[in-house]
Amino acid sequence: MDINIITLNQVSKVYKVGEENFTALHEVSLEIEGGAFMSFVGPSGSGKTTLLNLIGGLDVPTTGNIYFKESGLSSMSRQEKAQYRRENIGFIFQTYNLLPVYSVYENVLFPLLLNGSKEKDVRDRVMDMVAKVGLSDQSKKRPSQLSGGQCQRVAIARALVKDPLLILADEPTANLDTENSLQILELMRELNHQYQAAVVFSTHDEKVTRYVRREVRLEDGRIKSDKNSMNGGSKE
Amino acid sequence: MNWDIARKNFYRQGIRAFLNVLVTALSIIALIFMLSLLNGFQAQATRNLVATDVGGGHYRAPGFDILSPMEWEDNTVRVPEPLLGLAEKNKAEVLVQQGQLYPNRRLYPVQIRGISMDQSLLSLPLDNLKKYDEKIEDIVPAVIGVKMAEKSHLKKGDTLTLKWRDKSGAVDARDILIVDVGDMVNPRVDDGVVWLRLDHLRAMTDRKDEVSWVTVRDYKGPIDGFEFKSVEALMADLLALLRQDRMNSKILWSILMILVCTSVFNTQILNIFKRQKEIGTLMALGMDSNRIVRIFTLEGALAAIWALVVAAILGVPFFIWFQGVGFDVTHLSEASFPVRETIFPDYQPKEIIYSLVIVFSLVVVAAWLPVKKITRLDPTLALRGRAIT
Repeated sequence: MDINIITLNQVSKVYKVGEENFTALHEVSLEIEGGAFMSFVGPSGSGKTTLLNLIGGLDVPTTGNIYFKESGLSSMSRQEKAQYRRENIGFIFQTYNLLPVYSVYENVLFPLLLNGSKEKDVRDRVMDMVAKVGLSDQSKKRPSQLSGGQCQRVAIARALVKDPLLILADEPTANLDTENSLQILELMRELNHQYQAAVVFSTHDEKVTRYVRREVRLEDGRIKSDKNSMNGGSKE
Repeated sequence: MNWDIARKNFYRQGIRAFLNVLVTALSIIALIFMLSLLNGFQAQATRNLVATDVGGGHYRAPGFDILSPMEWEDNTVRVPEPLLGLAEKNKAEVLVQQGQLYPNRRLYPVQIRGISMDQSLLSLPLDNLKKYDEKIEDIVPAVIGVKMAEKSHLKKGDTLTLKWRDKSGAVDARDILIVDVGDMVNPRVDDGVVWLRLDHLRAMTDRKDEVSWVTVRDYKGPIDGFEFKSVEALMADLLALLRQDRMNSKILWSILMILVCTSVFNTQILNIFKRQKEIGTLMALGMDSNRIVRIFTLEGALAAIWALVVAAILGVPFFIWFQGVGFDVTHLSEASFPVRETIFPDYQPKEIIYSLVIVFSLVVVAAWLPVKKITRLDPTLALRGRAIT
């Protein structure tokens, strides 16, 4: 699947910090093809998270355009952006951002309910996804009863359950130990193969860069390099 | 679905939701308690004044002014014909004269009030006067109130000299016996007042069948030679005092309301503040902002409903209990309010509903406003927990 689902055209983002302007992104242009397994890599402040937020429609560029397939995100209303995220984007956050009062099952179910599904119609699908991330026996537990690695698995299941075209994962392994990080990356790679959802990481974790097929290096808000990984997809 | 999410969010917050509800419920109880106690206080003050002095109004001798003691002797008249025929339960004849009491060799200017012993319109503790004959023996029986007793250092059984002037202006004096010290409740009929039998006072002052005023149960129309003073006119000072007190109580109520608002708002804002990331997550998951606002507002409404329920569960038994035991205000004996007994709260449905509606609306607004603000901002701020700081 090599049709571009996301196109960034000369995108810049400037934040006002007090009296100063801080440019987080400088005229970034790139494409993300369907089914991609890629990462934005760079040190803190290089613009990785900003780029993910812009692609996810959580933030708006100061200049330039972002397109989802043929649709420009800039011309979308807040409601349309919400719909865009609801139907096409799965988010995975560094701090998991699970809904604290919901069980594992309910957290995974939630995006489907938002899309208008009835619980009875999607129960098996949710349980199947919970099983895929290896949490079948934890499905009734709440996030506070899970480890960090388990929480991130729930977040992955939640991102994938609605079968999105694009998953945006912001530093998904930053809060995990090495073993858990590798398990999560392995799981995401398998699910990427299985579901064909493009996965975009933002990370400065070298472990992640060894897993991805494409690596976009950012520095001071500019793309320093954009290359296909030589050993993309290989295990450590 | 919104309702399901709101319900689930609310009930599963556990202790946080419970504390939120409890703070609001206690605020409601405090508000109603304060208002009802004030109502009870004012109602009892008014009732006591009516029961001990004002009745349904006074037919007064022309020119009689309670604030001009030098003229009391000049303003007494015979009870007019239309009032003579009234049943004793519907009238109380009162003669007021000035005099001087000499307790413990001190001079104490007093108001001598004579009241008919057959009357049952006013509630005064004068039963001990009834057993004395119409004819004065060598000593005049008198009753004073507790406040008067305290100030003049008199007690039941004391004998002391009372001086007065009769109708012709001649000064006369006689020993009086304090046959009782009664709780008059109303300072107006207690402080500086010596109560005698009306027939005794008439005989002492040579004012056969004369009165200063006749208290009546209700207005009997204009009567020649008498001025009618309505309840409102007679209670003008108290009503003014109560009006002032009402105003003060409104200030107090406003302060309490502000405290309630602050407490509820603080609890709600804190709740929302802690849930900013959750709101950001909902936005990232694609929930549209109006729906988020609706869900959190519903949660606020649920908290408000539960607050009303908890307020009812905790408040109703408390209010019923308090209605029974009342609030002891004997410490107010030095105050000018005609209330010295226990105050019983007076629950006014209108005020209660008014307070409930305000608190309910406040809780809902406090849930709605910050979420509305957050959802209007950049979702990334909410995700980082920086939408409201």
